[in-house]
Parts: sequence; C-alpha cells; structure tokens
Amino acid sequence: MKKILFSSFLLLATAFSASSQNMKITGVVTDENNDSFPGVTIMVKNTTVGTSSDTSGVYGIEVANDSNLVLVFSFFGFQDKEILVAGRTKINVMLEPVSSALDELVVVGYGTTTYKELTGATARVKGEDIEKLNLSRMDQALQGQIAGVAINTNSGSPGGSSSIRIRGLSTFGDNDPLILVDGVVYDSEGLNALNPSDIKSVNVLKDATAGIYGVRAANGVIIVETKNGRLNSKPKIEFTSYYGMQQTARKLQLLNAEEYAVIKNEMFAAGNDLMPFNNTAIGVGTNWQDTIFQSAPMESYGVSISGGSKTTTYSMGLTYFSQDGIIGGEKSQFERINGRLNLSTELGDKLKLNSVLLFSNDYRTGLPENGIGSVLYNTINAFPNEDVRTPDGNYSYLEEVSDIINPVAQIENSYNYNWANKFVGKEEIVYSINEQFSFTNRFNYNYAIVDSKTFSPLAWYGPGKYANTALNANLDPTLVELADGVFIERGASVFEQRATYLDLTFESFLNYENTFNEVHKVKGTLGASAFHRKGQALNGTAFNIPNNSIEYADISANTAAGGYLNSTGSWEFTERLLSSFIRMEYGYDSRYLVSAILRRDGSSKFGPNNRYGYFPTVSGAWLISDEDFYDVAFIDFLKLRLSYGVSGNDQIANFAYRALLNGEGVYVFDDVITTGVAIGRAGNPDLKWETTRQFNAGVDLTLLDKLDFTVNYFIKNTFDLLFQPDVSAIIGSYGPGGYPPIVNAGDVSNKGIELELGYSSDQSKAFSFSTNLNFSAINNKVTSVPDGVDYLPGAYFGVGGNVATRFEEGFAIGYFHGFQTNGIYQTQDEIDAAAVYQEGAQPGDLIFVDQNGDGVISFNDDSDKTMLGSAIPDFTMGLAITMRFKGFDFSSNIFATKGQEIIRNFERNQPYANQMAYVLDRWVGPGTSTTVPRVTTEATRNTVLSDFYVEDGSFIRLRNIQLGYTIPKKYTEKLKIESFRLYVSANNLVTLTRYQGFDPDIGPTAGTLSAGVDYGFYPQARTIMGGLTVKF
Amino acid sequence: MKKFITPTIFLTLLISGIMFSRCKKFLDVDPAYTQDAENYFNSPADYEMALTGAYDLLQACSIYSVWIGEIASDNTIAGGESVNDTEGLHQIDLMTHGGVNTELRNVFRWNYAGISRANFILENKDNIEFTGKDVIIAEAKFLRALYYFDLVKFFGDVPLVIDKRLGAEEAIQTPRAPSTDVYNQIESDLQDAISVLSPTTPIIGRATKGAAQSILGKVYLYQNKFSEAATQFDAVIASGMYNLIADYADLFSVANENHSETVFDVQYSGLEGGGYGCLSCLEGYAGPGFHGIRQYNGPVYGDGNSYNLPTQNLYDAFDPADPRRDLTVLDIDAFIAAQPSPADITYAIGAGGHTGYYNNKYIKRQGEFGLPDNDLTSPVNYRMVRYADVLLMAAEAHFQTGNVGIAEGFVNEIRIRAGMPTITVSTLQDIWTERRLELACEGHRFFDLVRTNQAAIHIDGFQANKNELFPIPQIEIDLVGGNWTQNTGY
Repeated sequence: MKKILFSSFLLLATAFSASSQNMKITGVVTDENNDSFPGVTIMVKNTTVGTSSDTSGVYGIEVANDSNLVLVFSFFGFQDKEILVAGRTKINVMLEPVSSALDELVVVGYGTTTYKELTGATARVKGEDIEKLNLSRMDQALQGQIAGVAINTNSGSPGGSSSIRIRGLSTFGDNDPLILVDGVVYDSEGLNALNPSDIKSVNVLKDATAGIYGVRAANGVIIVETKNGRLNSKPKIEFTSYYGMQQTARKLQLLNAEEYAVIKNEMFAAGNDLMPFNNTAIGVGTNWQDTIFQSAPMESYGVSISGGSKTTTYSMGLTYFSQDGIIGGEKSQFERINGRLNLSTELGDKLKLNSVLLFSNDYRTGLPENGIGSVLYNTINAFPNEDVRTPDGNYSYLEEVSDIINPVAQIENSYNYNWANKFVGKEEIVYSINEQFSFTNRFNYNYAIVDSKTFSPLAWYGPGKYANTALNANLDPTLVELADGVFIERGASVFEQRATYLDLTFESFLNYENTFNEVHKVKGTLGASAFHRKGQALNGTAFNIPNNSIEYADISANTAAGGYLNSTGSWEFTERLLSSFIRMEYGYDSRYLVSAILRRDGSSKFGPNNRYGYFPTVSGAWLISDEDFYDVAFIDFLKLRLSYGVSGNDQIANFAYRALLNGEGVYVFDDVITTGVAIGRAGNPDLKWETTRQFNAGVDLTLLDKLDFTVNYFIKNTFDLLFQPDVSAIIGSYGPGGYPPIVNAGDVSNKGIELELGYSSDQSKAFSFSTNLNFSAINNKVTSVPDGVDYLPGAYFGVGGNVATRFEEGFAIGYFHGFQTNGIYQTQDEIDAAAVYQEGAQPGDLIFVDQNGDGVISFNDDSDKTMLGSAIPDFTMGLAITMRFKGFDFSSNIFATKGQEIIRNFERNQPYANQMAYVLDRWVGPGTSTTVPRVTTEATRNTVLSDFYVEDGSFIRLRNIQLGYTIPKKYTEKLKIESFRLYVSANNLVTLTRYQGFDPDIGPTAGTLSAGVDYGFYPQARTIMGGLTVKF
Repeated sequence: MKKFITPTIFLTLLISGIMFSRCKKFLDVDPAYTQDAENYFNSPADYEMALTGAYDLLQACSIYSVWIGEIASDNTIAGGESVNDTEGLHQIDLMTHGGVNTELRNVFRWNYAGISRANFILENKDNIEFTGKDVIIAEAKFLRALYYFDLVKFFGDVPLVIDKRLGAEEAIQTPRAPSTDVYNQIESDLQDAISVLSPTTPIIGRATKGAAQSILGKVYLYQNKFSEAATQFDAVIASGMYNLIADYADLFSVANENHSETVFDVQYSGLEGGGYGCLSCLEGYAGPGFHGIRQYNGPVYGDGNSYNLPTQNLYDAFDPADPRRDLTVLDIDAFIAAQPSPADITYAIGAGGHTGYYNNKYIKRQGEFGLPDNDLTSPVNYRMVRYADVLLMAAEAHFQTGNVGIAEGFVNEIRIRAGMPTITVSTLQDIWTERRLELACEGHRFFDLVRTNQAAIHIDGFQANKNELFPIPQIEIDLVGGNWTQNTGY
C-alpha cells in the first residue's frame, strides 16, 4: 500500500515540476475559537501535492496556476474544508470540529466506534454540558440529561451523593451502575473525588452491549473520560471561577406559636386531658426553620493548561471547590482540591503511552440527616412557643417532647469530619503492530486514604433526652461502675478511623480492524483483565477529651482513666475478579452491522461451585438510509438497531457463600462482658450472581440535517436476584449478628421506552439555537419472590410503626403498602350506619376502605391494606436549551418527573410536637373537613400509614438557567486574552410540585426499598452564581 | 522500532502466563481473621466461646418473655408512645393478637437461635476430649431446655431440632412435634444437666445444679406432674444453698444481685451501649428503660418509654398494708406528691395508655444507668428464678400431693419475709394469690393463669381453648411451605 502511494507521488511530482506556471498560496489556519491551528494538512484536491501548517498555523503551498484548483484542509476530528483557489494567493481558513453527531466517536468498552456504526443503545454527554451546571458531583449534573438514566438525590447536603439508576430498578440490592473513570472503578461515594469540570465526556452503555463488562454490567456502565490535549497546538491556558450563594428553596408551612396553642388545647381537650395553654395569644413564637437555615457560599477556582506537540498531548489542571451547607454552614461543608495530568506521547513510531494521574483531596463535614433524630426532623417537630435560648442563655430543652432536641444545640454539638485523599492513575501502552492490529496493555490504580473523626462532646439537651451524653446541665460526665464500688468518669469522646482502599487493574487486549474488498469491514477485540481490591481500616474511640473541647479532640489527647473505656477496632477485605473477553464485529458496506460479545468472569465473591460465568451478547444494526432503494428526502439518516444479551450483578458481601463465625455471641459472666462465638450468616455454597437478560430495539434518524431523533424500547428481565429472604426461624439464623443465607431467588422485570430529540441550527450564524429533549418511561414489576416469602419488608413508617414499603410479586419494587381512606366520618350516625365496622372510629376520624370486603377494618393484619403508590415515576423528562446571539449565550436545563409518590414521614406523632399548617383545616365538627382528621391526644387509628400520609411527588424543576457574555475579541486581544466570558447562573430557581416536604427529589437514602420515604430530607439548595472563564 | 516488539511480547506473555497459571489461586481469597463454622471446636477454648454464644440469647428472650407474661395477663397493659408503638404487645394486651405479630415472631426466632447455638456445641461434642467438657455439654443442654421451655409455653407443639444444624430444605420437612415430645426432651436435657452440674459455680452467671433442678421442677409443674415437681423443689430447698434475703425492697437493684435468693439470673451489664436497631445485640437489659417513666424529670427514677404499666386491678390485689404493693407498683402521682418539691417534677403520658402506675421492680433508676442509649442498657439482671419462686412452686406441688402443711410453711416463709402476717393455707387459691403478689411484674402471671386454668376468669377477652397458646407466627408457617397447622382458634 505504502509503496504504491509513494510511487504515485513521485510520478505526480514529476508531472507538476514539469509545469512552469506555478504560483504560491499562503495563509493562516485557525480553529473554531480563532486560535492558530498547527499541523493541518493542506492538499491540492485529487493530487498528492500537499503541505501542513506550522506552529503558528501559517502555511505556504506552491500550486499550478489554475483557478479551478481546489485546496482541501483537513485535521482529524475536524470537518474537511474545500476551497476554490480562484486566483487568490492568500487564503485564511477556519476549521470547525466534526459537527455531524454521526461521526463522533463513542466509547464502547475496550474500543471505540462511531455513532453511525454503533449497534448498542449508548448515550453520551459532553463535558461542557456537565461543567455548565457548576455542581459538585458528576452524578448530580447528569440528572435529566440522558434518557433512561434516572438520578435521584440522596442528600442535598454538600458532597451528598445521588442514586444512579440505568433503566430502572432491577434488584432491591445494589442498583448502582459500574462507573469507570479512565478505566478505573469509582463507586458512588468515590464520585466526590471527581471534579466535574475535568470530564471530557460521559458515555453510558444502557443495553446488553454493556455485557463486555460481564458480571458487573447488569446495572449498566458509565464510562467517563477526562480531558486531554490536542496534537500540534500551543499551550492553552484557561482560568475558570464562579462564586454563588445558596439558600433553601423552600421552608415548610408549620404552625406558629398561636396556632400551635389553639390546636394543642383542642387536641388535649379532645383527649380529656388538661389544656396546656391558658392563654393562646402568644404571638408567632419561634420559627425553628429560620434558626437553622442560612445563606451559604459556594465557590470554585480552576486553572488548566492543555496543548500538544507533534507526538505528545497534555492536559493538566488544578481546581479548588468549596461549598458550605444551607444547614449548619461549616458543619455540613464540602471542600475539594483536584489535580490532574493527562499525557499521551509516542514513545516510538508504533508505541504510544497514555498516562492519566488524578489526585484529589476532599474534606466533608456532616450533620445527622434524613432520619428520626436528624436536624431537620427535630426542626420540624420542635414547638414554636419555646425560644431558641432560655433567658439565662442556655439552649431551650423542648422538654415536653422526649425525643425531639433543640436543633440549634444539636448542630453546635455535631462534629463529624471526613477527609479523603485519592490517587487514581492509568498507564497504558498501545502498540500498533501494523495497520490492522493494535495491542493495548494498561495498568490502573486507585488508592484512597479515608480518614474520619467524630467528636462527641458532653452535651445536655434537657431531662430525659435520648441524645444526652452528660449527666446533667452542668455537663458532668456520667459515671461507669467498673467493678463493685469502682467508678470512672465517662467524658467527651472522639472516634477516629483511617481506612485505605486499593484497587489494581491490569488489562491487556488486542484490537483488529480491516476492510476487505472495500465493503467487508471486520473488527475484533480479544482481551483479559485482572482486578484486585483490598480495603482495610483501623479505628479507635477514646474518652475524656480535655475541656470538652474540639480543640483537644484527638485520641492522643484522651485522659480516660487507665484507658478502660477506650476501644479499638479494625476490618479488612479482599475481592478479586479475573476476566477474559472477545468481541467480533462485522459490517457490510456500513449498511449491515453485527457484533457479538462473550465475556468470562471469575469472581472471588462466589464459591467454587459457581465461581465462573459466561456472558454473551449479540447486536446488530441496519442503515436503511444507505440502501439504494431508499429515497425519503427529508430523512437523511435512518438506522435500526437490535441487541440482546446477558450480564451479571455481583454486588453482595464477600464470602456470602460460606458460614463464618462472625455472629455476635456475647454474654455477661462475673459482671464482665465476655465475648464468645456464634455463626453469622448461614452459608450457601451454590450462590451465584444475578443475571439480567436485556432486549433492546432502537431507531436513530436525522431529519432535514438538523433534527436528530432516537427511540429505544427495552425489556430487561433480572433473574436469580441475590436475595436474603426470611428463612424458617428453626434454622436459628436470627440471633444477634446472625442472618439468613443469601440465595438466588426472585425475578424483576423492567420495560421501557426512551426518546431523545436533538436540534441544532447552523452554529456559524450570528444567532444559533440548539436543544435536547429526552423522555423515559419505565414499567417496573417484581415478577417472582422466593417460595414461602410473601414480600420483603422495606422502610418503616413512624416510630415503631409498621412496614411501609415492600418488595412483592406483581408490584413495583418498594411500593407503598397501607390503608386507603375514603374521607372522614362526620357524625356518630354515619359511623353507626356504615356497612364496615371500624374499631374505635369516632366522628372526625379517617374512614378506611375495607379492601377484602369482610365488613371489618382489620388493623391486626394486612388484609385491608393496599398499594398506595411507589417512588418510581411514570415518566421523566429532561430539556436543555442553548442559544447564542453574537457575544451572548443563554442556556437552561429543565427536569420533570411525573407519577411518583412520597411518604411524609417526618411528622412525629407526639402530643406536643409541632405540626404542619394543614391541621388548621382539620375536622372540628360535621362538614368541616373531609380530608384532615380531628386532633386528639387519644389513641386513634389516624396515625397508621394510609394515603393521608402519601403525597404526589411529581415535579418540574428549572435546574439551571444561565446567561453569559463573551467580550469581543478586539477589546481583549491587547491583553493577550483569547476569550473572556462572564456569566450569571442559577440552580433550582423554580420547582413546581404539590409535595409539601422540602424537596421532592428524594433518593433511596437507606437502601433501595427506602426510596420515597421522607424523614426530613436535606434539600438541595437554590443557588445564584456569577462566574467567568478566561482563555489565554 | 523493532526493539520495542520483543520486550512488549515478552512482558505480555509473562503477565498472561502469571495471570492464567495462577488463575485459580488468584480467586481463592480467604476471609481474613475470621473462623469458619465447619472447622471449629479444636480446643477447650473453642467450646467455651461457643457456650458463651449460646448463653447470649437469654438476654434477648427475657425481654419479651417478661413483657408478654405480664401484658397478656391482668397485671399490666402495654403502654408506650402510641397504640402503633410495638403494636403486637397492644394486640396481646387486648387478646386480639393473630398470626402477624412482630413480638411473637421475635420470641419464636430468638429461642430457636439459642437452640441452634446449643445444638452447634452438642453436634460437635465428640470432636476432642478434655477435662471440664462434661460441664460445658451440661450447660448447653440446660440452655437448650430453657429455650424449648419458653417455646412450649408460648406455642405448644413446636418443631424439635436436636444436636444438629438445619439446612433450608430440612427446615421445611421438620414438623411440629407434640408438646409431650418437647417436654420429654426438656426433661431429659435437664436431668443430664443435673447429673453433671455442681451446686455452685466459680463464675457468676453460669448454670448450677440448683438452677437446673428448679427449672425441671417448674417444667413438671406445667405438666401437672406434682410429685416429680415436689422432688426437684425439695432437693433445691434441702441443698441449703438458698435463702430469702431479709428485705424485699433490696431484691431488684444492681447493688443486690447474685445473692442467696438468686437461683438463676439472666446477667446484664451497662458497659456496652446499644441502639434500637438490634435489641437482641444488647448486653444491657432493655426492660427497665422501656418500663421507665415517660419524659420523667425528677429524683430517684430515670425517664423511659412507659411500657408494661401495672393495672388498677393489680394495685388493688394487694392489702394496703402489704409493703410489696408499693415495691411492685409505683403510683407515680402519689410518689411525686410525696417529694420535697413536687412542682418541679414532670412526666408525660404516652398515647399507648396510662394507668397511673409503673412497674417498680424493673424500672430505670438513677445510679443504674448503662451507657447510651441508656433506655436500653440497664445493668439490672433479670431474676429468672429466685428462691421465693421455688418456695411457692414447691408449695403448690406439695399441696397438690396432699402435703398441705408443708405448703403452708413455704407460703408463710414468703409472707414473713414480706412483713405480712401468716395465713392458713386451705385452698390452692391461697397459694396462687400469694404467688401473684410475690412475683407480680416478673413475667410469670399469664403463664401461671393458663397453667392453672384461671386465665378466662381473670383476663378480659381471653377465649378458652384458644388463647392458652399464642399463634405460631403465620410467616413461619409460610416459610415451611404451609407444612405446619396453626394453633386452634387462630
């Protein structure tokens, strides 16, 4: 091949040199940002005459004096530009990046392909669409950007994680996708270490083609690439910064002091108790929400340099990010420093090194969140007639409610710190054996050191409060009796832990690509991968920290007498994965494409009986628009795709296949706590991974060259769920530290449809407009549970209450289960005349629906309970709009979700607890209310879980709106500034919802089955920001 | 260029070679620092540790046995924050309980967990020989008997699993054994234990011969085998190991534990904290905190969860002159009124019910707090068998076998210690009444009423031929594929 080229070149050169009528054309090549563009190839069309631009983008070429000559300017990744010379001697050219989405590269795991030839359902988000949102974490920024990928916020606190669900919930266990950053595994928690503005692109493998990752692919795969440089480009320095203020987007409607007094008097009177208030005219009192919410700053500063020489590209950056919490300020803070180096260089003609180093240092503080006893739970239930502080300056005790403590005092006494240092790297050597074969060896590492410290000062929240650590208001320590008559003080304590995690991955694969007879394109990938993870930790708790002060909060400073109370602990685990994989692709004339994948995985999580598994996938595509018979003018591109395959989920505890003596067998002998042994979880040597079989059918089309449209329909069935179902008690698994065995049982089905619509106007015009719309609808259903198990219980309602969410055959995962109501009994006559007997019902009580029709509401069993909703939406939508006019740019990002429900579980059912303002519309006599029951201190059934506590959680949120202005270059050029952009931006400016809680965007905070249960969720902030981007 | 090829291929072959030759070994990861259940019992210490694990469940099982033994009876009501708070206890209180009841399920689960831990030792009893092994085996049998006795009292016929661990399939095929078979097993285990155990133990908390004999006597009593029962009780009494302590008021404090009246205590310590997430993991006794006065702020007592509240009926059962009344039942308002500054003392009423009375035997007291959460971690032992109980059971056994005089002597021994005048015992009811007064709030009442066929007379809502037994948790029946029948009436 080469020889032929060379000889023809010679031949042509001879031909040209024979001509005497030559002329010289010169000019400058620039890129889309008007930066000089070195290394661009300039060829005379249909000849081999050519040159390339120098480091300043300047070129010069000698051509025949023929006005019909055409020059072709080309550079990989950019659109070719053909220019008719027409006698000119100076021609300046601007190249633009490939704009056709069809030619963009897509990462598919151990290789790439183009959108045009893609056979799987894969979505891509560009780095700029993530960076634009100015969020601390990548997962937050992905919400609403990809059809079929549902992101829910687990906590709105700084550094709080999100749940990522690709194509629905397929298990009640771990639903997190496999996240690979430059090939390194990141878990959801670890995403705190990743700087969103370092991301070049995010590729999501949604369908069975993710099966190239085998036993870990069932929940989908997210492949993140960090930014890299460009060959032959001058160093480009970029400085970015923004500063914003955050506030809570909402406060709850709670009773003020006067309303509270009126309601409580009525409540106590109804229960035949003494009315607590003689005088109800006590003003508005304390709004506890005002005392804990604050404005909190958020800021980020970053600098990056990227560029490249002929053989090397580099990109490096340093970013600082800091965010204070809207509750607690620096008590719920997140701070991060990221350093990054991405280097590619040609070690030799055929040998290339790709090296990535990511360093991060992050720091996070936290408050008790989203549970009984969390700051917000206390805030909601604290009563408004008490001041934050008593006249003597102490925090008030809120004495009448034993389990509610002063939230301001609680924040003050919370000291939870977390530091993580993480080193992530990739060293990859790609050897291009010849034009067909390339061989890649890579080594990835991820080393994280996570330190945590919790200081528990002696604190007194009032008599009888559960959170007291001191003996009394003087903060005297409690005494512990070590032996008869021997007492020691138990003072302030500090817990410290250092945990380290090390992941090592070695991967080696061979890629082959060749085209025969110009139409038969064959690609192949063959490889192997070994993965090793080890985690270990050492921790300790020490007592009697001097001065009860954070200043001395370190184990080294403890003064515990004889060290008797101090304790230490440690843990360690190792897990490994050994895999080999093969992928064969064949394309005929780029019209018919098929691909087949087979992966074999061996996992240390499973016993010898089931250690290895095989995961096959096939996929295919047909480019109808390339057929000769195709002549639909307005559809430029039309492709059909099909895929089917098997993948696995191995996310369970290590060693679940064998019974270990790690139960808790502790008893007291001679007044000393004595440790024994007991079997922990019963073993199951036949344990294996969950298996997901997924079918996908998709259509991609482009209309009128501007409108891209993709639709996917999928059926995703998961079998052999890794289940820890209840087993018969007589096996003896329910002692302390004991668990039933993990077994493979239960099936789940997800079916759904995804639509993506993209439009982009001509970007070279003064006004340009682009938009992306995506839509997903998923039907989730449990199709089988293990024999003998009716359902798997999830979250609980109220305090000591019943199971509120379930995993049950025929229903969505984690659906809500309780009583349906049908208004309120207005009169005793109505109760007496009712066809259904409801024990204890009085006028003003909720009327429950007799589901089984036996004429009695059964409170002692489940026969009258029914489905009250679920946290899984009917559909979700995301809309992104970008507009540019001259120097101005505008963008906005909207997310909508419809049809999910939320359980309002933050109302403490205690006589003195404050209540939401809806009780003002309570029933007080016949005809006064048909929705809100009477208030009383009597025992009623109004407090059991019914649809009264279940709300519509649908919402539409303006996630981001941004207006930017780039100062015209003529003003900045003199300062050697390439571009200078200023912007203002707002996150979560508007949320439309009927939900009464703080934030309807609630993730599963305590496992999959807790989704949609709101204990007083830390809401996402509303942020107003200003920022700038300067490029040099 | 060529120079790269050889090293690349060399490196690749080397790494691939290492990877695949060690493939199997690479994935053979063993758990660090943890022992496997299948190759244990290699040293005396292994047996000792496993025995500690078998004792562990006593702490958990006692919580519910005491609650249900009282709440189901006419002695107490459930109480608590609301009627939905531990709803199962409220249902038992009202005798409306059915097959879905979390608390009964815990009774069922925890007792079987204890049994499986005892069985784990007995299954491996022949692994090695060493001095003292017979005592460990005897204690394992003693514990197994205790757990089965709890089960047979609650549920009647229960599956009998002996000396082995069950797999899931085996569990499904294990039927409910007739209660007579269960009692036979209990008797045989206790007889084995009695033949080995010493009257005293160097380690406080371990089973003694006297404890095993007392339990065996009680087991006979429950089966109306009165002369056999009397034999066991007489042996305990004749052993001379036990005495009633002088002052009834000293019986239930941490300061007075493991004394001459102690036949068998479930041992607790306040030195380990705990949470509501795992009640069975606690080393402290959750009873006193749960029984504590709701949001109490005042002297003597600590605040708690207002569970298991004595009824007016119990309060009135005492002669006002009987010192045991106020030592058993705390009249909270009267107590507060008697304090120096009553106005400073506050407490709250739980929506789960209020009688004005609190369980004054097991209650959170100042000076007896465990580590946080101290509602759960009381260091107070549960007095499972105290000598007064033995005397009263002996009285019953002797009365039933015609030795009224002996019975009367035992009853009056109790009354004299309590500071009450002696009585003439002429009917069984005289003994039963004394038994209620002496042992109220200690978890015996419901089972005594059932055993003596008086439950229907004294308990509102009690249905004869049904409520003598609790229902087998419905889920447990489902989990064995419906192979068990439910108890009559449920």
